[in-house]
Formats: sequence, structure tokens, C-alpha cells
Amino acid sequence: MKEIFVLAEHRKQQLRDTTWEALAAGRKLAEDLGAELTCLLLGSNVDAMADALAKEAPRVLVVEDPRLEPFHPDACMQTLKAILADRGPFMLVMGNSNALLDLAPGLSVTLDAALATDCFKFEVRDGKPLAWRQMYSYKVNTLVSFKDAERIVATLRGGAFAFTPSGAAVATVEKVASPLGGTTFRRRFVGYVEAEKGDVDVASADIIVSVGRGIGDEPDMEMFESLAEAMGGVLACSRPIVDKNLLPKYHQVGTSGVEVKPKVYLALGISGAFQHVGGIKGSPLLVAVNKDPRAPIFRVAQYGIVADLNQVVPALTDKIKQLKG
Amino acid sequence: MDIIVCMKWTPDTSEADLTVDKEGKDIRKDDLDFDMNDWDRFAIEEAVQLKEKVGGKVTAVAVAPEDAEGMLRECLARGADEAYQLWDDAFEGSDGYAVAAILAKFIKDRPHDLVLTGTLADDDCGGQIGGMVAAMLDIPGSTLVSKIQISDGKLTCHRELEGGLYESIEMDLPAVLSVATGLNEPRFVSVRAVRKVAALEIPTLELGDLGLEASAVGSDGSRIRIELMELPPEGEGAEIITGKAEEAAAKLAEILKEKGGIGS
Amino acid sequence: MTIQEPANVALAGIPAPGLAFVILVAALCLFAYIMNRRIDLLRKAMPDPRFDDIGERIRLALVYGFGQWKQPRYLVGGIIHILLFAGFMILSLRSLTLIGRGFSAEFNLPGLTGSVGMAYEVLKDYAVLMVLVVCIVAIIRRAVFKPARYAHAPGQGHEAEAYVILGMVSALMLTDMIYDGSHLAATGHTDAGLLPAATVASLFMAGSSPAALNALHIGGYWAHILIFFGFLNYLPMSKHFHVITAIPNVFFANVDKGRIKPVRHGVDEWMDLDECGITRFESFTWKHVLDFYSCADCGRCTDNCPANAVGRSLSPRMISIKARDYAYKYYPVFGTAPDPGDIKFVGDVITESEIWACTTCGACENECPILIEYIDKIVDMRRYLVDQGQVPQSLQKPMQAIKKKGNAYGGAKGKRAAWTKELDGIEVKELKAGDATDLLFFVDSCGSFDPRIQELSRSLARILAKSSTDFGILGQDETDSGNEIRRLGEEGLFEQLAQKNIAAFQDRQFKEIVAFDPHAFNAIKNDYPERFPIVHASQVIDRLIKAGRIRLSSDYLAGRVVTYHDPCYLGRHNQIYYEPRQVIQAVPGVRFRDMERSFDRSFCCSGGGVMLWYESEEEKERMGERRVRMAEQIGAQVIVTGCPFCLINLEDAVKTTGNEGKIEVIDLVELVDRSLV
Repeated sequence: MKEIFVLAEHRKQQLRDTTWEALAAGRKLAEDLGAELTCLLLGSNVDAMADALAKEAPRVLVVEDPRLEPFHPDACMQTLKAILADRGPFMLVMGNSNALLDLAPGLSVTLDAALATDCFKFEVRDGKPLAWRQMYSYKVNTLVSFKDAERIVATLRGGAFAFTPSGAAVATVEKVASPLGGTTFRRRFVGYVEAEKGDVDVASADIIVSVGRGIGDEPDMEMFESLAEAMGGVLACSRPIVDKNLLPKYHQVGTSGVEVKPKVYLALGISGAFQHVGGIKGSPLLVAVNKDPRAPIFRVAQYGIVADLNQVVPALTDKIKQLKG
Repeated sequence: MDIIVCMKWTPDTSEADLTVDKEGKDIRKDDLDFDMNDWDRFAIEEAVQLKEKVGGKVTAVAVAPEDAEGMLRECLARGADEAYQLWDDAFEGSDGYAVAAILAKFIKDRPHDLVLTGTLADDDCGGQIGGMVAAMLDIPGSTLVSKIQISDGKLTCHRELEGGLYESIEMDLPAVLSVATGLNEPRFVSVRAVRKVAALEIPTLELGDLGLEASAVGSDGSRIRIELMELPPEGEGAEIITGKAEEAAAKLAEILKEKGGIGS
Repeated sequence: MTIQEPANVALAGIPAPGLAFVILVAALCLFAYIMNRRIDLLRKAMPDPRFDDIGERIRLALVYGFGQWKQPRYLVGGIIHILLFAGFMILSLRSLTLIGRGFSAEFNLPGLTGSVGMAYEVLKDYAVLMVLVVCIVAIIRRAVFKPARYAHAPGQGHEAEAYVILGMVSALMLTDMIYDGSHLAATGHTDAGLLPAATVASLFMAGSSPAALNALHIGGYWAHILIFFGFLNYLPMSKHFHVITAIPNVFFANVDKGRIKPVRHGVDEWMDLDECGITRFESFTWKHVLDFYSCADCGRCTDNCPANAVGRSLSPRMISIKARDYAYKYYPVFGTAPDPGDIKFVGDVITESEIWACTTCGACENECPILIEYIDKIVDMRRYLVDQGQVPQSLQKPMQAIKKKGNAYGGAKGKRAAWTKELDGIEVKELKAGDATDLLFFVDSCGSFDPRIQELSRSLARILAKSSTDFGILGQDETDSGNEIRRLGEEGLFEQLAQKNIAAFQDRQFKEIVAFDPHAFNAIKNDYPERFPIVHASQVIDRLIKAGRIRLSSDYLAGRVVTYHDPCYLGRHNQIYYEPRQVIQAVPGVRFRDMERSFDRSFCCSGGGVMLWYESEEEKERMGERRVRMAEQIGAQVIVTGCPFCLINLEDAVKTTGNEGKIEVIDLVELVDRSLV
């Protein structure tokens, strides 16, 4: 591998966390493979973002075109195809975000590259990269090789690659003219649709803070909401909470409610009845906080705290806000 | 409107205790029940509902061995007009890319206004088939589609971004849409419903029927190879974080941060 | 003073017998026409062989029809009804007599002459007065006291009809009184003791001129005759059709309790039919349509419906009322039927949420004074929805799991006997084909896979082992009993499940099957096409105690107040009320109290089997919570039940009602296991 490319992801003029995580993964890969690292930034009016990336990446390559903003997978694909045409061997990494899910598979075909999605770790053997990903309801770790591929695209599991800012690099920002020319696309961005607050989609949330009967008869729902907000997740619940009209039905996780496949599931005051736990699919990091040390939820959780929620939750919220800076 | 739905036959691993087989490159599947991939259930339902609204024909197709015939028959019971099974021993060991190539070849050779599939399959958790098929057919595609509207040959859909944010997009037909779970309420399939379509034929198309080369499919046609499989270490119940509430909370916050439990 | 009899007075120049003849023929023709139109729908409806077991049917007609057996379950309404019914019975002869008196002034029914006739005159006169008084009481009760169960949602009721009928009956009585009273007033033969009604009427006419009395006598007569025939023809047009249909309805009642009707009577290959379930109104059986005709809107079913009590939209009586309204509208007596257009009976008239809300507890059927059936209709409507694929998402998953794995829990077939591994020192025989045992323990899916219910499986195993009973299980050859699958309308799957279990039974030798889950017990006992001897765990334990093979101590209950919750499928559907109570009573010094709603009025916990997965978005409270409050009211500290699903629902409800630590819910087999000496 001669080169490692990191595709920056941004929305509404803000770099997304996936960018930094991809950069962290790219750095490590570049080091292990002895390859050059380049960050690719595609968009329009991206100077501020380019500057931010230039502090962390050795090279930043920018393509500006109004058709690249907001994110347009087909425009991205065409652009990348053009600018990577003569490169290689290379590996391109990017977040496994919902937006980039529209890009990576098609891109791999367009670039004639091998693809591994949702990788959580890489290793290098005989100078070749291998990727760890999960299969079978995310329950089995799988190591995949890319055979003799000279071009590789990999998407990265959110949260799997921790980024530490160095701030040391002062990269040159290289601007490349947009190769899009007069291309029109068969897909058109219409707009963002904000789900109403009541429309929170528990089913597709990656981070879920879920509350159960153990939160008491007159719970402080705001306390839980602010924790969910601090964690960047959504608030869900078990059936008793819906019964008490504390949250609407579509927040209810369970075999009879919504099935969820989060990455992280924080169960607060949830006893762990099968009807509830049955609705949690995949293998999320399951953390339980409950007063009752014998609550069955502790049997399925990886981490647990036996304590009063009213003490733990505010402390946890504060600490998380602190960690986020 | 001609709608082709790509279905997958997957082992139900969500509740099962899994073990890795002797070679260490796959799990043992003899004890597992296979079923229609959950995401694809929504795709076939959406196809049938679209047909009910705008008319047309729904074709279900799966790259899957003989055992999967029941799944394709279930698709017919759900309202598909025809179903095809694509299988040849040469297909064994195909990765996502090779499967997409087989599907793309099948689709290319017949009328298609819309191709539907689930965004993800529960076995390889790849989320790649839809996008690859679209690129191979050189038509637009999108994933995690949670709402589909078709009028005057124009397609409008919503796709899920993170945290309750959706993106509204328009596409020209034909297109490939990979749907999200929950975009509809899949119908129930009774024993009688399956009986009613028992006599319909489900043709199996092999390598030659599809006009594919052996080198383009199976492990030869694959771009990635599984080297090793292992179960993540499993703890006996939860690790209890001790200490006063504040201390425990602080420790938990660190763990959450480390494990990606703090999003944007 | 003499008075002219109606038969001898021509009206508008028409001789009375001629007039009477015209009225009689016209009224009967009209009645025949109306009835024929109504019966026409019965002929269009689906078959149902209800002419078997005539002895039992006569018994039903005598006990529940003429005997009004269920009426006193609601005391005030019941007494009013019995009095009215008795009055009607008596006065029916009077009506015939009066019809005859239009032809001849001396007419009497054969046998009702002489002293018998005199005695009947007296009896009838008391009846007239009684019926009049009862009608007035009933009107006041409806108008002033408004019993809650008569209330209707706006626009859905038929309140007015009740007043029309009560008014007509009152008018019949009054005209009879005027007819007789004017005669007495004219002849002066009043006798308050023998002819109270006529005498009361005559008092009002005292001092009237002979001409006036004559007019009243003749006018009263013809008014009575006209009202009578009006009444007769009004009945099949109103909710009071039951006056005519109730006795036949009881005669043709379902004598197969606990069993669900086949998809179509007389058709084994129902899968090949074009339709399944209630695709249109005529898909109901003729008996079910007769049920609709017969509902008197008394509201007892709904008053006892647990789903209705917790706020689900189901109201059994509204199913009958809405169905009758539909029948009257789209199968009209006069004129052409309107086009229903897009209105579907299942889905629009009866909504999906009503149909899925039913737990099939049977409280409605059990309460109905005229034995109207609901469960079979609900199941037939569900069969249609299932056939259309319209099944609530919450139920689809467990139903699919049963289809694919033979249990709703998603457990692997091979692990069906895994619960036996945690039994210390007890080896549970897994019977292979050809093996023999005394007692075949049918564990069912819940006892095999639900961790809480597995404890009951182990308890029963310990009891059987302790009593040295030879028993065994089917292990992985067992599959879900299918009781709920059948009741959810998935008949095809039920048949597959039943056949699988039947094959497993037939491959082994045993004297009896035992199940602790009443649902499994019911399915095998009543639904399976092959019959096997089966008993419920409570019956086996009762026998073991009586035979002295096990003894119970008071250590576990330790003086706590105990009540027993009758599971629907043990009690109402299979009449097993006493054995479980006898087992509890076998605990020395037990303090046992029954809840107000017990035995056949037990209040459903919200349903077992797959129904456990069903989530109603309508209910404001869970049924189990209601039930726990009922136990709380009588100070119970232990609720014993005989059904694993009641156990789960009630245990949950104990927590949600804040009774954790105060009330313990325990299954009978657990109680016995823990109390074994």
C-alpha cells in the first residue's frame, strides 16, 4: 500500500466525528504499512474545515464544487473516481455512517476496489492490511483479508477508533479542480427532514438510554433526557413507562415494542424481563444501573452499577459533558 | 412497474448460542434455523404495497441454495408474482461483491424499474449489496430508505441519517433502494397463504443460465476472504462498577467514552 | 246493564268477524313475509349442524329458555325479566283467546272453559297487573336509575326501541284492562281479589254512561288486537326479536364447550376453499346470525368482558348489535338492499382492534342469558384477517416462531427438555417412540422455554417423583399445543401442530396425559381431532392427596390468607373449579377466601399463550392489575392460580400495583411442591 486516504465527512459545514475517527485509523494504517496519509475533503466553501484538518493530517486534498454540498454520494463517487484514477495501490477509509453507506459500496465497484464495511480494527500481515469486522448479528469477530487487491475501501465502526488530537501537523492544503464538469445526476437532494421530537426513531439509534419501572413513580424525566442528550443518544423505555404515560409508545423497546440494534444500551432501572431484553438485538455494549443487585439485567449486561439512579444519573451526565469538553 | 426484490436466506443468529467451526472460518450452522433476512421482509412488503398502489409485477430473487426455496415461496405468498432462485455450486463462498455481481447480471437481463432489498443482512452485516448492484447496473441507489413515494415515474424517498434526522431525495427510475426496517408493517403469512402458491414454479438459474463465468463468482470472484472467526470474550454477567455513586458514574463515563458510548 | 261484545258489533258497516279475519290474515301474512326475509339470511349463511344431541338441546331450552336460569345473575334486571317472561307465557293464551273473540263473543280456547277457564281468568288478570307494574318499573329504572351496562356510545344505541316495546306491552295490558274493566263496570261484578286488573280499570270507569262503557269495551278490544299484531310484526324489525328467537337460540346453542368451530362445517379440505373466515357477512354460520338476531342488548357480556373493563375497544354486545344493524340494513325486509360499497364487515364495522382485543376468556358467553356465542365469531373474524395477512406486529413474531420452531420463545427444538437438567436427583424420562409410561407430562412451550414457567415444570416433576408416579415427557418430539394459534385464527398452523403432537402421542403408550397449562389441556382435550385421556395437574394432585400419596404441610403458607384465581381455560372452558380448591384446602389450617369474582365469573388476567405478546394500545390499565386489586380487597396475601400465564401476568401486576412483598402469586403446583411433607 502506497497511500492511505481518509475521506472527511461533514454536514452543514461541520466536520463529523467520523472524520476524526477515520483519521485516527488512517494514521495507524499509514504507520503500519509505511504509506502516505492524505485526507480528502470534498464539498463547497470548506476552508475552515480544511484548516482544521490541516492541523492533524499530513496532507489535505480539497475538491470544491457546489454539487458536492450537501453530501451527494454520486457526485462524491465521480469526484473520487477521477482524482484517484492514477493512484495506487491505496486504501481509502471512511466512517460507516448512514450517509456514507450510500457511497462506499458503489464507490468500491466504481474504483474496482475491495470493500470491507464496519471494521473495528485493522492489522497488517506481510505488508498487507487485514480488517476485523463483526458478523452474525454482530456476535462473531471476523478477520478478513483483501486478497491481492491493490485498491481497498474500508468503512469504520463508529467509536472504534479513538482520535487523539496532535495539532502538530501543518499540512499544505492542495486544491484540485472539480472533475465534475457538466455532469448531472440522477439523484437529487431535496432537503433535510427533521423528525419531530415525538418522532425519535429508537429503532435506528446507535446510543440508547432506556428507563424502566425502577425509575420510580414520579421520576424526573428531564434528568434522563439530559443524560441521553449528553450521550448523543435517544431516550427509550420499557413498557411500564409507556403505561404511566411518561413516554409515548414508540419509545418502548421490547418484543412487543420497538426492536433496537444500538451500539450502546444504557439500561436505567430496567429489571430485564425477556419481553424487554428480547427487543435489544445485536451485541451492544449493555450497561445497567439498578438498585436491585439481583435484577436479571445484570446477567446480560457487560457493566453494572448497583445504586440509586437519582445519584448516578446527574453525576454521569456531568462527567460525560466534561469528557466531551 | 417492474420491481425486483433481492432476498437473502440467513441463519437466525440473534438468539442462538454460536460456536465457531473446526476450520475457524465460519460458525457452525447445523443447529441454526435459516429464515428470510429480517430487513428483506420489509423490502418484499414494500414491493407488494407499491404494486398494489401503482400496478406492475414483483419478482423476488435470491442467491441461495435449495433450502431457501421456502423463503421464495413465502415471497410469492406475500404477493410477489414470480420468484427465481440463483444457485450453482460455483456460487459457494461468494462474498458481497460476487453476490452483487450475480444479482446484477440477473437484473440486467430483465425489465426493472425498481430494485429493492434490505439495507443489511444479519449474517454478514455488510450493508453493501444495494449500493454495489446500483453501481454495477449504473443506476442510482440509496440505503436506509424509510419512505418511498412514486409518482409520474419519479421517485421520492426519505432515508435515515442519525439522531432523528432524515434526508429527502429524488431519483430517476430505474433505481436500487435498500430499505430500512420499520418502513412498513409486513403482512403475516399463514400456512394457507403458502399453500395457495404451492403450485407456482420457482425456477433455479445456474451459472450458465445467467451467462456468468465461474471465475466471476464464488471465492474466485470474491474480493475479500475470511481468514479467521472468533467469538468475542464473554463475561459471566456484568462487571459491577463499585464505589460511591459519583465515583461509579465517573468510571462509567470513561468506559462509555472508550467504547463509543458518547456520540455527537 | 248489558254490554255489547265486539264480535257482535259491526264497524263502519263491516261485520266484526270479517274485520277480525282481515286483520288476522293481513297481520299473519305480514309476519310470515318479515320472518321469511329474516330467515332468508340464515339460509344464505354458512352451515352448522345443530340438530344433534336433541336431549341436551331440550334440556338447554328448558333450563335456560323457559327456566330463565341465568337471569338472576343480575338480580334486579333478572327478576324483572323473569316476571315479564312469566307474564308473557300466561298472556299468550289470553291473546289467542282475544283473537278468537273477534269471531265469536263466546270464544274460549279448548280446555280453558268452565272452572279451568275461570281459574285462568284470575291468573291472567294477576299477570296483566304484574306485567303492567313491571313495565312501569322497567321504564323508571331505565329512565331514572340508568344502569351503567345499558349505556351506549352516542349513535350506537337502540334506547328508543326499549321504550317503544315497554310502551307497547303496557298498552297491551291497559287495553286488556279497559276491555275487561268496562265489562265489569257495566255488569257490576267487580272483585278486587279475583280480578284485580279489571277491577282497578273499572274503578276509573265508575259512573260512565252505558254508551261510554260500550265504546270503551269495543274500542279497548280492537286497540288491543291492533297493538298485538303491531307488536308481533315490530319484534323482528327491532332488537326485541329475541322475544321470538331466544328459545330457538338456546335450543341451538353450542354444546361443544371449549372447542373452536371448524373453518367450515362439513368441509375437511377447507384450505382449498376460496374464502377463509368472515370474508363477508354471509360467512357467519346461520346460528351466528341467529345470535345476532337474538341479542337483547342487556349488556351483561360487556359488563363481564375484561378487555372492555380495561379500556380496550371490544364490547361483545356491540359485536351483536353492530352485526344486527348491518343485517337489518343490508338484508332489509322491505325495499332493495343498499350497496355496502367499500364498507367491509371485518375491518370497518367490526374493527381490527376489537377483534384482537379478545382474550377468548369466555366471560361474555358464560354470562349471556340466551347463550350467544362470541369466541367462535371472533376466531372466524381473525381467520379472515390472518388469511389477509393482517396480524398485529406484536403477534406475528411469536406466531412465526411457533411455525418455524414449534414454540413462541424462539428456543431450539433440541432444548425442549433442558429444564429437566436443573432437577436434583430426579431423572425425567424422555419417552422415545414405543416407550410406555403411566402419565405423559405434556410440558408445552411455556414450561419448556420460559425460565419462570420452567420452575413449574420442575415443581410438577418433583411432585410426581415424590408420589412415585411413573411419568415421562415427549422431549423434542413435543411441539406447541396450538391452543392460542387456533384462537388467533391460524387454523393451518394449528392443524400442523396438532398432527405433530397427535403422532407423538400415538407413538407412545400411556394411561393419561397431564398438563399444568390449562391452554394445552384445553387444546388436547377439546380441539384435537383425536381424543386422548387428559387431566390437569390440579386433578392429578387432588387424586394423589386423596390417595394419601403426598401430604402437605402448613409451613410454606404459614397462616397467610390465600385466594384462588380461576384460570379461564380451567374454569369457564372446562368446569374445573373444585379440584384446585380442594388441593389448597389440603394444606392444614389454611385460611382460604374466594374473591367476589370467582368460579365462572373469574376475571381474566389478560390472556395466555401467544396472547402474552399482544399489546393493546387502548387499555388504560392491565387486566392483571385489576385482578390483583380484587385480591387486595379481600385481604389476600397469596394468590394461587392454576395457569402459568395467569402467574406471569399477576406477578407482573403485583409489582405494578405496588403490592410487591405484600401479595405473593404462586401456581398450584409450586404451592404443592413447596408444601410437600
